Amino acid sequence: MFILTRFIFSLICFCTILFGAHSQSIIAAPGVTLSEVATVPANVKAVLDSNCISCHGEKKQKGKLRLDTLSALSGDARLELLGRAQEQVLFQEMPPEDEKQPGSAERKLLYDWLRSEVLRLGGSDLEDKLRYPDYGNNVDHEKLFSGQIKDKAFSPSRRWLVRPQIFEERTLDIFTVPPREMIGLRKQGFYGVTNPFILPDKAGVRDYDNTALDGGHLLLLLNNAEWISNKQLLPARIKKGEVKADQFENPKDKWNPKVIPAAFEKIVLNAAKPTDAEINDAIQAQFDCVLQRKADDKELAKYLKLTRSAIDLGGNTEGLRQMMVTVLLESEFMYRQEFGDGKPDASGRQMLTPREASYAISYALGDRRPDAKLVQAAQSGHLSTKEDYRREVLRLLDDKSYFEDKLDKSLDGGKENISIVTSHPRINRFFRDFFGYPNALKVFKDINRSDGYYGNPGRGTSGTPGKLVVEADMLVDTAIKQDKHVFENLLGTEKFFASPVENAVAKMTSLNEVYEHFKDAKWQTPPKDKKKPPSTLSAEDIAFIRKRLNYNSTERDLDIAMTHIEHFKKLGMNPNPVWAYPFGIHKLMPHVSSYNLSPPNWEYPKEQPFKIDNRKGILTHPAWLIAHSANTATDPVRRGRWVREKLLAGRVPDVPITVDAKIPDDPHKTLRERLEMVTLKEECWKCHQHMNPLGLAFEMFDDFGRYRTAESLEHPDNVIEKTKAKYGADTYKTAPVNAKGYLDGTGDPKLDGEVKDSIDMIDRLAKSKRVRQSIIRYAFRFFMGRNEILSDSQTLIDADNAYVQSEGSFNAVIVSLLTSDSFMYRKPASL
Amino acid sequence: MRNRRNFLKQSLFGASAMTLAPHMFANPITGNPPRRFIFIHKGNGLFPSALVLPTLSEGDKAKESRKEPFEVALKSHSLPEWMSALNEHKESMTILQGLSGKMCTTGHHTWQSSLGVYKATERPSSIKWATVDFEMAKLFPSPMEHIELACFPTGGGNARGNINGIEKGFSARGPQQPNYAFGSPKVAMQELFKSVASNKNDQIKYELHRKVLEFAAQNQSGLAQNLGGVEIAKVANYASSIDAVRERDRKLEAMSDVIRKHVPKLDAKYFADDLTTIDRQIGHAEVLLATLMAGMTNVVTLTLDELGTPYTGITDLEDETVNLHDVGHGKPAGKFAALEVREKLRRHHMAVINKIVSKLKSVPEGGGTMFDNTTLLYFPDNGETHHSNGVEWPFIVLAGKNNKLNTAGKYIRLPGYGKEGHKTLGNWYTSILNAYGNPIPHYGDLDLALAADGINQSGSIKQFLS
Repeated sequence: MFILTRFIFSLICFCTILFGAHSQSIIAAPGVTLSEVATVPANVKAVLDSNCISCHGEKKQKGKLRLDTLSALSGDARLELLGRAQEQVLFQEMPPEDEKQPGSAERKLLYDWLRSEVLRLGGSDLEDKLRYPDYGNNVDHEKLFSGQIKDKAFSPSRRWLVRPQIFEERTLDIFTVPPREMIGLRKQGFYGVTNPFILPDKAGVRDYDNTALDGGHLLLLLNNAEWISNKQLLPARIKKGEVKADQFENPKDKWNPKVIPAAFEKIVLNAAKPTDAEINDAIQAQFDCVLQRKADDKELAKYLKLTRSAIDLGGNTEGLRQMMVTVLLESEFMYRQEFGDGKPDASGRQMLTPREASYAISYALGDRRPDAKLVQAAQSGHLSTKEDYRREVLRLLDDKSYFEDKLDKSLDGGKENISIVTSHPRINRFFRDFFGYPNALKVFKDINRSDGYYGNPGRGTSGTPGKLVVEADMLVDTAIKQDKHVFENLLGTEKFFASPVENAVAKMTSLNEVYEHFKDAKWQTPPKDKKKPPSTLSAEDIAFIRKRLNYNSTERDLDIAMTHIEHFKKLGMNPNPVWAYPFGIHKLMPHVSSYNLSPPNWEYPKEQPFKIDNRKGILTHPAWLIAHSANTATDPVRRGRWVREKLLAGRVPDVPITVDAKIPDDPHKTLRERLEMVTLKEECWKCHQHMNPLGLAFEMFDDFGRYRTAESLEHPDNVIEKTKAKYGADTYKTAPVNAKGYLDGTGDPKLDGEVKDSIDMIDRLAKSKRVRQSIIRYAFRFFMGRNEILSDSQTLIDADNAYVQSEGSFNAVIVSLLTSDSFMYRKPASL
Repeated sequence: MRNRRNFLKQSLFGASAMTLAPHMFANPITGNPPRRFIFIHKGNGLFPSALVLPTLSEGDKAKESRKEPFEVALKSHSLPEWMSALNEHKESMTILQGLSGKMCTTGHHTWQSSLGVYKATERPSSIKWATVDFEMAKLFPSPMEHIELACFPTGGGNARGNINGIEKGFSARGPQQPNYAFGSPKVAMQELFKSVASNKNDQIKYELHRKVLEFAAQNQSGLAQNLGGVEIAKVANYASSIDAVRERDRKLEAMSDVIRKHVPKLDAKYFADDLTTIDRQIGHAEVLLATLMAGMTNVVTLTLDELGTPYTGITDLEDETVNLHDVGHGKPAGKFAALEVREKLRRHHMAVINKIVSKLKSVPEGGGTMFDNTTLLYFPDNGETHHSNGVEWPFIVLAGKNNKLNTAGKYIRLPGYGKEGHKTLGNWYTSILNAYGNPIPHYGDLDLALAADGINQSGSIKQFLS
């Protein structure tokens, strides 16, 4: 037996190469506290001796690390070290590739021991961490797609916390509301209900099955339950005369349900205490409203007792309401339940029950409860085979109305109503999450640096990023609707939307007609009459302009329109159909500056999407570029990390806690040069090599998403001219942009190698099998709500094949995933 | 063994779970009195010029107008006349000028911005993190954790439907989580003091509430049995949260003698639904004092007014409902010019603050008074004026002798916006948080324009902590 000290020393050395950046902090001085040491099993010692000590022993200290004792290390540092060593072993990052490798049994032995030590010292369980999105790529990609894994796929039996959109729908479903009213309620939400659930902001799949209800949720759920239960009883109380129908405690909250379950009404209206049967009816009604099922006998008995005592204490209405509140607090209201049932197969798996399957399918494709046909299929025993699943998934994919909704209501506000409506918002949401471009809304910019065109989100507006995000949504929606070579199109399209308007060509024609009609007439209104121009047009002329401008246009509108049209005519262009009435040309879609279009002097295309120079695919869309930028600069590290993790299924180790990454200030150097000053150091390059060469290829775009060939050296020493405009940008010296990069990790020697810029890199990425499979892996996570494990191998291979064989149909991927064993089978977690 | 109890110990780590964790309700082992914080904010801006001491020397006046840093002892000067209610508290008082908050101005209304130091809007998704008052509440836990009272707006772009109800407030518990505030002294009394309600109906309601939580806790605990692995967290965590609410209630019940002793004995007019804004503010101040004195909370946030608050009950304008937005645009109210109305309101605010401070000074605690352990901050919710641009964000602070910042008794003018050494709202809150045990490197968003000018705006204001 060895003492732990010696081996901790070895292990610290073992991972020093990778974490050399903070190696100084873990050099220890002599002096061991014996109470802190533990024995190391001989077999573990043998593994360390044969694999680690030669480089990190007493004779050699690679990474300049020496540890004679532990006493100088704080408990946290020791724990952190063991935890990192555990990661190194699990992810096979040590020993280095060119060194002798331990066998799998040796690795397992060492890993198990490290894990037990980490847990003993109070550290977190790495295996627990592996369930989280950041660790999804830790499963070996080659193994997953090798076809050699024959394990039967399954998902663990689970509760899956509802995402915010499902919560909204479940709350709406509590009430019986006519479809037209439902549209309004979906838009506005309930006044007294606050959604307790939020998803993380990070790019990537965000809705995982590993979140638990907590105290923060509960506080909001208690408030919500009060409001909902009061509303549920209000019609009955009005009928009883306790409350007047036209009197509102809160004038902003005038919505009342028109219909409530008869069982509630009966108890409220009854002067006498209700019978057990009446209470049971009310309990069943509330279960139906809230949990969308009947209570079983055991539940009924419990709730009857509660309701009876609450009624004895508080009277019929208040007692009944307390029962309703309690059902609203059932965790089942907030969790999706997927446990499976029936006889386990040889692998211990059970198929989802038909009811569970109906919810799993409906929540995979949308946020709403199963539609009538799906419920019918579940109830009639027609949701228990792969074919049944396929039939229902195909039917719902084909149904363009059941899930139809605004893609992102948070983009709307004030007078803005810009979010697109789409048939299956959830499918679009996969690409939104994956690419992460909606995060452009979270990156605040200094307006002056944009020369005043950029507007941050604020009260009543989602600003410039809101408009750009919507245009990226349109790009994604187009690719989804075409459903051919979806990934390649999204990565490689040269066509973009920029302020698209309906019937643009017809509007341009109308404006041209107005121009031709009035160009030689005296249409100008004298400045003194601008506010209220005299009537100078004939009835025919008024009719002419009203047909082409607005139904109520007058001389004033003609003046504005002609000013607008003339501006473009002088430039030899068609008039822009986005006629920003009544503001004239200078408010013409300033956000299109992010595409290097120059309002108001840009020729509006006759068709959208249209080709925009120097751009290729969504990674060159301003929304993506802004989402992956810093407040006042580009962010090559973040952009590179995104490509590495999302497209190449790669992994970048976490930033060591001791690293305080800061790009140095140097007025004479570009960001690239300044970044390289710090990251080319050996200890930094270990990680940055996985990001910088990919991210620097995007330096051809600035942090507002504009294409550039020169970078402004924004430093007070470099100012050439101070702006005079309130929101103008100062003019700085510039330096040429170097957007060269290096692509590695596609596994294809024809694609890997130096790239001249991001367009070149994207061309190659779009052709990569690895990239396609990486997106499939993320799609798996999105629809399964968890990271893949090796036993999901066949599911992933099938989905990849489905994509290839269907010539790039994402719907085919969805069908494949939702009819896979990973989706259909559950296996209980061990107790 | 990974049983539920052990699991709960480990799993109560989330910020929101922490707020309900039973151990958080315990009194400090040291027996030292807790530190208390009162955040009081107002709408329509606060003119920095109104806070300038009238007796400043010519040299200091010049520095003040050039926004150059200086400080003077308040005891050697007279306060502006409208602050005269605070004359007796000069030794505990700070007038702090020169902070900026451009990173948290959104025009007329600012929602959680002034307490969170980010641009919050009408969208809850704009709330980036817990506001500073909630951060302080985490440092000094109490049964109720945090209480927010507000004179809600009914007009403008931030209107609430029911100014007498419980509505979304101006503080935030965490990202995307607006807090809820009590709109009237009546509803605050009903909710906060329900465990000692004397009214039969209220007693029944409280009993029912207990019953529901007891049932729900048992129900969810039952679900946690026979679960394994990660699945246990999903229901056990929830069950524990319900238990924590019950534990909070139990604590309050155990404190019922103390709470009952401090139940505000207010005149009936403060419990009316149509009470004036002025009375509402006074009523809220009484509730605020009662909850602090009873030990129910250590942090209270009070919104005295917001731009959309319809003002009633102003001295000499008793028959008017004054629209603060109009006042902001220079419109007179009754026979008073807009500036006079502003001054009247500030004068009343000072009277409310005097009431709070004087009362706390009269309550013995730990060899001194409750005020010794209290810090009160009065500030605008949107900077210096009606259409604020956030270049100035004046504060009036009253802090007892045990406070950990060395600012008491001073008029402090910090360097103006964009000048070397300039400080922001983020620096100010970071100083408070650091002083009281939260080591956060910087609280709040940064001002991008200041960053472009090369001004380091990260961290605390060192001279306040020395």
